[in-house]
Amino acid sequence: MIQVSHISKNFAETCAVNDVSLEVGEGNIFGLLGPNAAGKTTLIRMLCGIIRRDSGDVRINNKTIEAARHDFGYVAQHFGQYEELSVWENLKFYASMYGVNDKLQLLSLLERYQLMPFKNRRAGQLSGGYQRRLALACALAHDPAVLFLDEPTAGIDPVTRKHLWDDFYSLATEGKTLFVTTHYMEEAQRCNHLAFISHGQIVAQGSPLTIRNALGDTCVYRAEVAYLPEVHQALHDLPGMILVNQFGKELRMVVEPQLSKQILQAAISKVMNKAVELEQTQANLEDVFIALTQEENKS
Amino acid sequence: MMMAIIKKELLQLRRDPRLIGLIVVMPLVMLVLFGVALKLEPKNVRMAYYDAAPSIFTNLVRTGLWSDGYFDLYEVKSKQAIIEEIRAGRAKAGMFIDRNFTSQLVENRQPHITFFVDGTMPSLTTAMKYHSGSATDDSVTNGMYFSDADAENVVVADDPFIMDTEILFNPDEKETWYFLPGVIGVLIMQIALILTGISVVREREKQTLEQLLVTPLSKTVFIIGKLVPYIIIALFDFYFILGAGWLFFDLPSPSSQLLLFLLALVYVAVMIALGLLISLVSRTQQQAMFIAIFIIVPSILLSGFIFPMEAIPDSVQPVTLIIPFTYFVEIIRGLLVKHTEFIDLYRDYLALLGFAVFFVLVSIARFRKTL
Repeated sequence: MIQVSHISKNFAETCAVNDVSLEVGEGNIFGLLGPNAAGKTTLIRMLCGIIRRDSGDVRINNKTIEAARHDFGYVAQHFGQYEELSVWENLKFYASMYGVNDKLQLLSLLERYQLMPFKNRRAGQLSGGYQRRLALACALAHDPAVLFLDEPTAGIDPVTRKHLWDDFYSLATEGKTLFVTTHYMEEAQRCNHLAFISHGQIVAQGSPLTIRNALGDTCVYRAEVAYLPEVHQALHDLPGMILVNQFGKELRMVVEPQLSKQILQAAISKVMNKAVELEQTQANLEDVFIALTQEENKS
Repeated sequence: MMMAIIKKELLQLRRDPRLIGLIVVMPLVMLVLFGVALKLEPKNVRMAYYDAAPSIFTNLVRTGLWSDGYFDLYEVKSKQAIIEEIRAGRAKAGMFIDRNFTSQLVENRQPHITFFVDGTMPSLTTAMKYHSGSATDDSVTNGMYFSDADAENVVVADDPFIMDTEILFNPDEKETWYFLPGVIGVLIMQIALILTGISVVREREKQTLEQLLVTPLSKTVFIIGKLVPYIIIALFDFYFILGAGWLFFDLPSPSSQLLLFLLALVYVAVMIALGLLISLVSRTQQQAMFIAIFIIVPSILLSGFIFPMEAIPDSVQPVTLIIPFTYFVEIIRGLLVKHTEFIDLYRDYLALLGFAVFFVLVSIARFRKTL
C-alpha cells in the first residue's frame, strides 16, 4: 500500500532523512518511532507530499503522491483545522476539497467521533481531545485507503488515547492502512509493524516482537532498586554496559553478554552496601528504543 | 522583570532578519526615493494652445511661457479642442488667444488671453496659476506698449493684456473634489492589502496551510478561491465609501456608472491580488504588514494624487508607472470630475488589468504546494 524507496531530505547542512526505505501493507498499522528531531515529521510530510524530497521514490496505492491525493488523508501534529469555523463547517470544507458532498457520510463521521453534540461549535472552542477527533474526521471525510497520523495522541489524556487507538484498530479492520508517528512506547506496541528512526535513518524495523530482538546478542536484567545516582554511575562505568534505565523502583540494564550477572550484582551491592537480587528478562521496546538511539548518538 | 521582557523582544526582532531588512533598508530606500522625487515645482507641464491670430505679439506670449520651462506647449485647432485635450489628460493646461488680440493690443485696449488649468490636481492648479504670470513678465510685455508721438498724453494700462484663468472641471476649487476621489483609492488600497496581505501567512502561522496542502487542491483554485471573496468584500467597500462621499461631501456623479464599476472591479482586483502576493512572500504577519505599508506610502506620494507628476524628475518617472494607484487616480478623476471619455482612459484601464493579471499569475507561480 505504501512503498518508500531510498528517500532523503537535507535542510541546509542538516540531513533530516537519510536513505529511508519502507513498505507498509494494506490494513496494517505502521508505527514510526523515534526521538524528537529524529526525522519522523519530515518523513511523514514527505510521504504526504508537503515537503519535497531530495531523492528517492514514494508510491501510495501504486501511484505517485500527486496521483494518490484522493487515496490518503493526513492528520498533522498540530491542530490544523480552522478555529473560526464550526465542527460541521470544517468537515464539509475538507470533504469538498475532495469533491465529497455526501451529507450522510459526513454525519456518520460526526457520530463516529462523538462530535454530534458539538456540530455547531467553533473548532477553536473544542478541547484538545475533540480537536483531535475533528482532525481525524476531516482526514477521513473522503474515505481514504491510507491515513497518515503525525503523533496523533500527543498531549491527549489516556482515556481519549485509548478511544482513539480503538478507532485506529477498527479503521485497520475496515482495510485502511495507518501510518503513525509516535515517541510513546505503549503506542508503538499497539502497531502491527514498527520502524525505529534515529538521526534520519531507520535503525530497526519489523513487528514489535522482532524489534525487541533488534538488540541482537545482548542481555537484559532488572532489579528492584530505588533510584540512586551513584548506582547508575557505577553501572555506566562498567565495560559492556549498553543502557541503564530507571522505572520507578525498577532498574533495567541492557548489557553485552560478557558483562555477567555477578559483576552487575557486585557493582550495585558495593554502592548500596547490601545484596541485591537481579533477574534476567526480555528487552522491552523502550530498552531497544533508547539503546538504539544511544548507539546512533555515539556513532 | 521589565528588562527581561525588553531583552526578549529585542532578541525576537534580531532573529527575524527579513524584518530587520524591512525596518532598516526600506525606510532608507524610501527616504532616498522621496528625497529625489518629491518636488512641488512642476516642469514641462503639457499645455495645449490655440492662437486664432498668430502674430509677433502672440508669439512673444508663447515664448514667455515656454522659456521658463514650466510649460510644454503644443498647438491644437480650436478653443474647444483645448478643453478636450485637458479632459483627455493629454494636457494639464491650455491657452486661448482670441483672433482680435493683436488688433486690440496695438490699440492699447487690453485684450484678454484665456488660460485654462485642470482643476482636478490641487498643487498643480496652484502652480500653474502662479506660473502663468510668466506670460505677463516685463520681458514679454515691454514691446507691447504703443504710443503715437503726435497724440495727447495717453494713460496706458499697467499690463498690455489681461490673463483670465479658467479652472476647468472644478471651477469652485472644492477641496473634496480634489482629494476624495483619490482618497477612495487609498482606503481601498489599505483595506485590500491588509485584508489579503495576512490571508496566506496567517494560514501558515496557524498551521492550517499544512492540512490544506495535502488535499488535491490545485494552485490556481487556491489563488482564485482566496481572491474572489476579498474582491467582493472590497468592491462592496468601494461603493460604501463612495456612497458616503456622495452623501456627506457632495462628490460629483460619474460620467458613466458602468465605467466606474469597471474601475472599481479592476482596481480592487489589482489590490487584492497584490495583497495576496505580499502574503505569499511574507513569512510572518508582521512582515506582510510592513511590506503593505511600504507599498501604500510611495503609492500615495508618487502617483500624482498629492504631488504633481510633472514635478517628479525624469529619473524617477518610471517608478510612477509601476504604481497601480497612478492609473486609478487618473481614471477616477476622469470619471468623477472631468467626465473623460473611455477612449482617453482605456490605456489606464488596460494598465490596471495588466497589473491584476500579472499579480495573479505571479501569485500562482509563487505559491508552492509544499511547506
